This record gives sequence, structure tokens and C-alpha cells, in this order.
Amino acid sequence: MMYDENKREITLDRELGKLDRFVIDFCKLPKEYVIVSGYVSILFGRSRATEDVDLLFPKMGFHEFEDLWKRVYGAGFECINTSIVSEAFDMLNEHAIRFYKEIPVPNIEFKMIKNNLDEYSFRNRIKVKIGKEALYVSPLEMQIAYKLFLSQGKNEKDLEDAKHLYNLFKEKLNKDELLDFVNKLDVKKEFEKII
Amino acid sequence: MNINLEELKSDRQKNSEERMKFVEFWANYVKTHSDKEWSRQQNVLIDSQIESAHNLVKKKVEK
Repeated sequence: MMYDENKREITLDRELGKLDRFVIDFCKLPKEYVIVSGYVSILFGRSRATEDVDLLFPKMGFHEFEDLWKRVYGAGFECINTSIVSEAFDMLNEHAIRFYKEIPVPNIEFKMIKNNLDEYSFRNRIKVKIGKEALYVSPLEMQIAYKLFLSQGKNEKDLEDAKHLYNLFKEKLNKDELLDFVNKLDVKKEFEKII
Repeated sequence: MNINLEELKSDRQKNSEERMKFVEFWANYVKTHSDKEWSRQQNVLIDSQIESAHNLVKKKVEK
């Protein structure tokens, strides 16, 4: 695993599993996206499975969404929430929609960018090269702090995800950026637990 | 039935600490071994969960 901080690029020589192939297949469909949350830790080796993979995408109009919908269905994915494209589009303003292939687990949780943190993740995403494939993931500093924030609900899984990423990349992380997010998200106590 | 809540809480705390130690151990393993090596092991765990889900759905359809 090689992380070039300046190019914001990580090169992984990992073997692809069923979950990775599922994610890569879906990520070829939207024009732009960023993967956030649990799968980021899993991609970098965390020893756990997951039911869903969170994907953020920039706001789009109905026709653009309809084109994407056709590509998604053409690639064999289906929407869990509805099979009607206009209904799915309306839902996106309220909540995420989920796509699966053959069986509902795992599924893609497809969410529109809604707040500053989402926007930051998207604008500063990191390219992960895996052989001929590439995925875009949230910046690690932000990912660690956000996982610590989620762990405040006593969720051990999120604390462990944060610890995995921190331990793995600590020599390469931008400490100022990480501490800035830790302060902004008010997770100093949780941060102490993983360092 | 008498339940010793303090004992349970202490076990929960110990379990949590042990899990964090394992996360540290595994992150170190990932750092010090080739991507191919750790990912092969990780895939055994994740692929088996997905296969189980597939088999469960298949069984239900067959019924």
C-alpha cells in the first residue's frame, strides 16, 4: 500500500473480494462520487464485513438521474426503495436510496451531498488505484474524525474503524487537519482512545 | 435469577479493551505484510458472509 499525500492517491495491490467487485461495478456508473464511512476502512484492510456501502454524489437534475438510473439497471442493479425512477429521484431530497444486485446484502446507500462535511469529502476525495480499477474515497483525516463522532453513540464498530485507519496511516496523516476536524466535531475524548 | 451487573460491566469493559488491542494488532499486520497477503485473509471473512446471504436467499426461493 502506497500513499502519495501530495497527489492524494493511494496505490493498493490487494486481491479483490466479492464486496470490492460489487463496489467497483457500481462506482463505474455515476460520473462523480465519493465513498464514505465503513467501506473506506474495509478497503484498507479492516477485518469486518458490512451490509452497506455509503456513496455521496453531487446534486443532479432529473434527466441526469434518469440516465444514471438506466445505466444502473443496465448493469444489473435494482433499487430497494422503488422501481419508479421519478419516485427514487424525489426520495433523494429526503433520504438515501439503496441499490443491490441479486440479493439485498450488500447494498449501495446512495446519498446526495447535503452539508459542508459531505461537500468537503467530495472536493478533497482521494483516488485509490487497485490494479486497473480506481475508487474515490473520503479524505482520511475527515474519515477518522467522523467515525469518532459516530462512535459517540457508543458504537464500538465506528471507534474501531477510526482506530484502524489512524494506526494504518498515522505517519502520513495531516495532523493539523485531523486535529482541526477533531475539534470541530467535538471528539477529543474519543480521539484519546485511539492514539 | 441473580445477575451480577458489576461483573457484567467489567467483562464488557475488558472485552472492549481486548477488541481495541486486536484492531491495533491487525492494523500493524496490514502495515507489515503485503496487500495480497492481508487481503486474501480478509476476503475469506467477507466473501463467506456474502455467500451465506446468497445461500439463505436461494434456500428460501427453493422452499
